[in-house]
Amino acid sequence: MKVNTKFIKEVKKYGAFDISACFNCGNCTAVCPLSAEDVSFPRKMIRYAQVGAEKEIEASLEPWMCYYCGECSDTCPRQAYPGEFMMSLRRYLISKYDVTGISAFFYKFPWVQNLLTIAIFAVSLIFFLSYTGDFQELAEKIEMAFPAYVTLAIIAYVFMFYKKTIMDKAGKMLISFDFKNIWETLIHGLTQKNFSSCSDTDWTRWIAHLLVMSGYTLTLIISNLHLLEPLRIHYGLFDISTLLVFYATFAILAGGFVMMFRRVVKQVQSSSFSHSTDWLFVVMLFLIGLSTFATHTANMALGPDSDTVSILYKFNIAVEMAWIVIVVPFTKWIHIFFRPMAIYLRNLKKEKQLV
Amino acid sequence: MNGKTEHNCDTLIVGSGIAGMQAALDIGDAGFNVIMVEKSPSIGGKMISLSKVFPTLDCASCITTPKMAASSHHPRVQMMTYTEVKNISKKADGFEALLIKKPRFVIESECISCRKCEEACPVYLEDEFEYGLGVKKAISIPFTNAIPQFPVLDEEKCIRCGACARVCPKDCIDYLQKPEEITVKAKSVIIATGYEITPMDAKKEYGENKLINVISSLQAERLLAPHGPYGKVLRPSDGKIPDSIAYVQCAGSRDESIGVPYCSRVCCMYAIKQAMLLSGSLPLSEITIYYMDIRAFGKGYEQFYNQARAMGINFVKAKVAKISEDSQHNVILRIDRQEEGSKPQEVKHDLVVLSQGLIPSRKEFFGLDVKLNEYGFIDSPAKTFSPALTGIDGLFVAGVASGPKDIPDTIMEAGSAAMEALNYLKTAKIS
Repeated sequence: MKVNTKFIKEVKKYGAFDISACFNCGNCTAVCPLSAEDVSFPRKMIRYAQVGAEKEIEASLEPWMCYYCGECSDTCPRQAYPGEFMMSLRRYLISKYDVTGISAFFYKFPWVQNLLTIAIFAVSLIFFLSYTGDFQELAEKIEMAFPAYVTLAIIAYVFMFYKKTIMDKAGKMLISFDFKNIWETLIHGLTQKNFSSCSDTDWTRWIAHLLVMSGYTLTLIISNLHLLEPLRIHYGLFDISTLLVFYATFAILAGGFVMMFRRVVKQVQSSSFSHSTDWLFVVMLFLIGLSTFATHTANMALGPDSDTVSILYKFNIAVEMAWIVIVVPFTKWIHIFFRPMAIYLRNLKKEKQLV
Repeated sequence: MNGKTEHNCDTLIVGSGIAGMQAALDIGDAGFNVIMVEKSPSIGGKMISLSKVFPTLDCASCITTPKMAASSHHPRVQMMTYTEVKNISKKADGFEALLIKKPRFVIESECISCRKCEEACPVYLEDEFEYGLGVKKAISIPFTNAIPQFPVLDEEKCIRCGACARVCPKDCIDYLQKPEEITVKAKSVIIATGYEITPMDAKKEYGENKLINVISSLQAERLLAPHGPYGKVLRPSDGKIPDSIAYVQCAGSRDESIGVPYCSRVCCMYAIKQAMLLSGSLPLSEITIYYMDIRAFGKGYEQFYNQARAMGINFVKAKVAKISEDSQHNVILRIDRQEEGSKPQEVKHDLVVLSQGLIPSRKEFFGLDVKLNEYGFIDSPAKTFSPALTGIDGLFVAGVASGPKDIPDTIMEAGSAAMEALNYLKTAKIS
């Protein structure tokens, strides 16, 4: 392997800054409660980056094992911020696993992504507001198109992730049907219990994250399966859909608010360095929660024929348009799938003795 | 408060470690009068408690005791031990210092240092000279080669049984002694207040001083010293001779998380020195030094380091991240070893020494308006060519008070401070 000193500059574009200060004392790896014999990080990853072992990094599951509690950055004797480096590596890897190459472009030129998001939102909103036909029907078509688009993106990412981490190494497809492995993957995916492994569990962060994750997944299901028709149906307070919407939007708003607040006050390592895409991510999520909630309560209060409901609903669908088209396939959104998958693949590697 | 006395001198030296003594002797030899103030009951500072010095492995007391004797017998050096400096103020004609002489509860002019009181005393206390590893009596001479050889009575721990007073042949135990106020008028002042080591509980990952077999580097010095607490190296929890001993480098410096980001300059070398001495006294023990990088930068230091490697001391490049213990009080270190593939792992040792860093011994310097750097050391306006200057006319600094340094550098800087002070006394227009 040839040493490539330029590689670290490439990673730095994704947010890592002074990682070249690292002199490999290994304090980060030893202090990390999640680092283990088969997944050793951050030092090994930093070393890979320093020597430019691009292939090794792309084949690593380690970045997805890190939950960024920040202990490594707090105790780093060189102030190299290994925790933030791991975060940047996740951004880098998302862009590497993206077959279109658009994520890489967005990460390097975040303002383009921001502008595009605003543009798509604005164009959609103007179009929706001037639309004279049956908007509910149009919304249905749009929302039914989302799953196809999103599924395509997910399949591409998941395949690339699997290919780079397992297939390229093993030379063939490997699958584990071990029940324990599948169970562990599900548990971690649903509870994200690795958050509690850090020596002082950051409960606020864990709960906020869990709220946003569950609220968002629910919203995704509600909208992508087109379960809501606020321009046709008058929802009551105790309808199943109302309860679902209330939980989902409450979870997103509360969790999103906590996350944004922490990014502003920057008291803990994990929210000290915000990439502009992080902001886009939380702000858009927050807007989705807010507009869904507003549409639904307006529908309950004013009925499906009200103009206010119609305008709010159009706003809601416009936000979703921008979110699905620009944010979902090209940001850290995909980590919802990568994290549990990494746990599955780690066990798979152990099972098949693929080191 | 009892009585008030006033003294005059050319130079007041605060601190009587190796820096203070060297400066006092240099100025005294040049024909000027010196008062050397020491807050502890004996002069000698930290150096007298060390076992040996690097890189020559000379015995530390063999260098320090002659200096102690010389400065205590010097006709122009007056030492004031067990005396705290409360305040120093700059006046038009020099400095005025307010000192408090703490009561020893022994009439010093009468005491013949026979130690009968110490033998009679029934109260045992933790010995601070041994950093808690040994015991002393409630009335005792601070350590064997202390100067002056006067016992000190611990006012709080003494039970007033009168045993010492009954056996004292000179009848010089005085339970009613009070602190004395002393005023010193000095034309110049040298600050040589030295250092403390980083507290053992500074880093929460290192057991917060609750792990019994994790000791400080100064405790290790005492274990190794010929006149140390046990006469041999034993670990504190069970008195066992340790089979494996580890040094944790940069335990109290180069670490932003404990507020000591600077390098303390001596820890690498003293750890190597102690490791060498340990392999001499415990030839069968495994000795490992966990380091980030070895800083052996002085004359003969690199050779010293290489010699230690050749002697079979293990040097492992890994910063220790966490320290804990098992049920037998064996110490567990968590490291990321770089040989044999990177992975976090736990290693066990019988005894662990934290290579603590050097921090200033005080937060504030007697009310003097002296400039401190961001870590609390006295900041010289001309660090590179006149390190003893402080920015205040007539006020000089020597030793670790102006930043971490080893013994040779300290002695050299003390000489420089003495020279600056002499120069000042000769040329400045002070009456």
